[in-house]
Amino acid sequence: MSRLHILQSKFQRTILGAEDMLEKEIVATERLSVDRRIAIYAEAYRLRLTECLRENYSALYTLLGDEQFDALCRLYIDAHPPHHYSIRWYGDRFAEFARHTAPYSGHPYVSELAEFEWKLMEAFDARDARPVVLDELAQLAPSQWPGLRLEFQPCLQRVELTWNVAAIRNAVDEGRTIDSPQRGDRPAAWLIWRKRLTQYFRSLDDTEAWALDRARDRATFGELCEGLCEWMPDREIATYAAGLLKQWIGDGLVTKIQTDP
Amino acid sequence: MHNNEVRRLPNLGFGLGLRTDHYDSVIAERPDNIDWFEILSENYMVDGGKPLHYLDAIREHYPMVMHGVSMSIGGADPLDRDYLKRLKALAGRVQAAWFSDHLCWTGVDGTNIHDLLPLPYTEDAVSYIARRIKQVQDFMERPMLIENVSSYLNYKDSSLTEWEFVSAIAERADCYILLDINNIYVSAFNHEFDPQEYLDHIPVERVGQFHLAGHTNYGDYIVDTHDHPVIDPVWDLYADAIRRFGAVPTMIERDDHIPPLRELLHELDRARDIARPILEEIAA
Ligand SMILES: [Fe+2]
Repeated sequence: MSRLHILQSKFQRTILGAEDMLEKEIVATERLSVDRRIAIYAEAYRLRLTECLRENYSALYTLLGDEQFDALCRLYIDAHPPHHYSIRWYGDRFAEFARHTAPYSGHPYVSELAEFEWKLMEAFDARDARPVVLDELAQLAPSQWPGLRLEFQPCLQRVELTWNVAAIRNAVDEGRTIDSPQRGDRPAAWLIWRKRLTQYFRSLDDTEAWALDRARDRATFGELCEGLCEWMPDREIATYAAGLLKQWIGDGLVTKIQTDP
Repeated sequence: MHNNEVRRLPNLGFGLGLRTDHYDSVIAERPDNIDWFEILSENYMVDGGKPLHYLDAIREHYPMVMHGVSMSIGGADPLDRDYLKRLKALAGRVQAAWFSDHLCWTGVDGTNIHDLLPLPYTEDAVSYIARRIKQVQDFMERPMLIENVSSYLNYKDSSLTEWEFVSAIAERADCYILLDINNIYVSAFNHEFDPQEYLDHIPVERVGQFHLAGHTNYGDYIVDTHDHPVIDPVWDLYADAIRRFGAVPTMIERDDHIPPLRELLHELDRARDIARPILEEIAA
């Protein structure tokens, strides 16, 4: 290991709080002690990451308040130092961490809100793809329908939410006072996406969630219709399924209608 | 070892660091007293959405240079090839006049501290870093500028002054220097050296860009916070720098407590007002 590498490893471990080996390496002056000089870096490190997490998880930060949120940050920062070259990706395991770390693990809305906010971020700067327009559906011959498959926006995110975390995030975004966390009867399906520059999210009923997930798994329109038998009378299926397609296209979710087998 | 064949970088004039807070004002007002923008490279190393949308829209009207924080040119870890590929793609996208990063390291053993960490000023570090800059410049096919950082500690290992260190690396790597006037002021205070002496030892033809910024004075040390206007002693040092280095593209960095665009433009006009008479005097 080079001398530079040794020195940098020591410095980094000191900043991370793992050891304190820098005393021998650093010049003290009358005005400023070595401890203080190191603390400037160590404190800046934690502050910068905490600020980043406050931004990435703005609703969770508002919900928990400074003290509780920063306490969670401290634990997370110690457990997960950053690795990515961009600080934008810091906090990618925040939800998972909160899910498994007491006392947050006892309040599942914490990890659920974190997961929801992270997915919003992923939608924010995901790759742009041109959505198809409804005209493209109209141009299909009836014989092409059963075999068609869809491709979806790279920004599209699905999440299951048991708590009212979407409402909490909405309230924070709009500067309203937030409701206290409330648990629903069962997990509900939510869809997150971006249309041009604006992020959207909405809940899905069970049927649409099932169909959307299958369609994203490359099921054909025919296969979707077959599966929908379980949910509704046969005579309603074709209209319902076509309606879903139009809705998805209208929401800008679909980037390609593929008709070749 | 001054190299007289160094070609000076073009004078782009007076610019600003592009910040998300100003996207809409820039597009709506398209001010003509900003000559160029410096973008924070990592903010645009994403796949799509708002960042790239605004980047392209603003690039249509203003030249851009790139400024990165994560190359870790002084770090002991190998250079990050994926990072450099993305950086190069971005440089192509905005047709960057040049790209810069800091003369520092940002983490080691796979960790990124997301800070501009100080280097020991040694001969070994000079040759190690110069070699890496050459590799980066060859890969990027664009001129690289290295920026002097604000620092809060010095290593016992250091055998050179900071200005000797910066100059030696620029000469040996055949790259340029982004001279941050505020960082000189901050480090001079924190390490008790004479900022004027620093300026006097930087090779003139190597300096391709100036940064100006505000800072926070805590009494016994100063932190480079970029959250205040530029202070008078830094303006004075800027005047000295113009006297020595001539017409060098100048910009203001503001990263916190970001004021409305017109306020920053007002501050930028002050830079113009300081530089103009000095340059006229030199020309005469
Ligand atoms: Fe700077």
